[in-house]
Amino acid sequence: MAMRATLRCLSANFSPRLPLLSSAGRDNRAARLRWVSGTRRTFSSCSVLSTALKFTEKHEWVQVEGGIGTVGISSYAQDALGDVVYCGLPEVGQRLEQMDEFGALESVKAASELYSPLTGEVTAINTQLAENPGLVNKDCYAEGWLIKMTIEKPEEVDALMDQAAYDKFIKSLEE
Amino acid sequence: MQGSRPLVRVVRLGLVSYQEGLRLQQVYVDRHRSGPAHSLLLCEHPPVYTTGIRHQPYPASRLDPLRLLGAEVHRANRGGLITFHGPGQLVCYPVLDLSGFRKSVRWYVAQLEKTVVSACGSLGVTATTSPHTGVWVGDNKICAMGIHCGRYVTSHGLALNCNTDLSWFSHIVPCGIEGKGVTSLSRELRRDVSVHEATPHLLAAFGEHFHCELSEDA
Repeated sequence: MAMRATLRCLSANFSPRLPLLSSAGRDNRAARLRWVSGTRRTFSSCSVLSTALKFTEKHEWVQVEGGIGTVGISSYAQDALGDVVYCGLPEVGQRLEQMDEFGALESVKAASELYSPLTGEVTAINTQLAENPGLVNKDCYAEGWLIKMTIEKPEEVDALMDQAAYDKFIKSLEE
Repeated sequence: MQGSRPLVRVVRLGLVSYQEGLRLQQVYVDRHRSGPAHSLLLCEHPPVYTTGIRHQPYPASRLDPLRLLGAEVHRANRGGLITFHGPGQLVCYPVLDLSGFRKSVRWYVAQLEKTVVSACGSLGVTATTSPHTGVWVGDNKICAMGIHCGRYVTSHGLALNCNTDLSWFSHIVPCGIEGKGVTSLSRELRRDVSVHEATPHLLAAFGEHFHCELSEDA
């Protein structure tokens, strides 16, 4: 895809201030989980279908539990957007192919499209975001989740980046 | 690649309807599929009110009276609330692939604001930014902004009041911000400042803040 080719052409203006935020995001998430469950089991539970966070190159994360994927955007993404003032989300029941646009987030007068990380059907949308769109910034890995969806093609989840690969990916964007 | 500046093509569309502007933006957005094709579309629109992706504040009952004024009304997939475009207003739609600049919408909007502040400055108007996106002279907005970004490709953009008839704004709460007004370069400088006069200042400022080369078709 043309997008990946243009990663090489990042201008020298790019200032590497973002790593602090992605690790802060991760630390916040880890801290919250310790508070919630006392262990890290929520990420790597005994269920075969449950996985740790996987990431797309568009800075979305997916967490699978019980055959349902919860989708949100990463700390890197929420920082690059700025304060979210509006979340345009799909209807429950809408079927999405991987890479389909499923909505948009608005921040600083900019509407940024969201792309489905997986193929499946929307089972829930985060209605809290209507009143409190800022949750996407404040708690992007938990309360700021966007949609939940079924997973028609589990192999799509396997092909996404794990935390380590995603952290590496972010670093490469800053070079 | 250290030091190479992106090339941005300036496309002067003249007076085009808002709808035609949307169609042309899509043409330029689609060009990015086959590689970098940064463009800067410049135009003016006949009178039109536009709303953004937050359409709940603007049901048909609120928009219909605006049509009676002789303006068109359009919904757009950009950020930002309601605004007006009309003759005497320099409308600029940068269609950039942010992968060639910086992959941050927040950065992009900030650079656009700085571009307009510099352009105003070079014309003798001291403009500022504020927590409300756009460019201001005191409590009056001189330039509105509303962006769309899909797959890092930008569309929509900014609208700088040059010698716009500002009375069109009195029928709306511009950008949904109560208690603030609008102004124009002409009003601030107390002389007629046309889109034609303002354009080179905007282009120079854009080249400066986006560290790019601007090219024009012959």
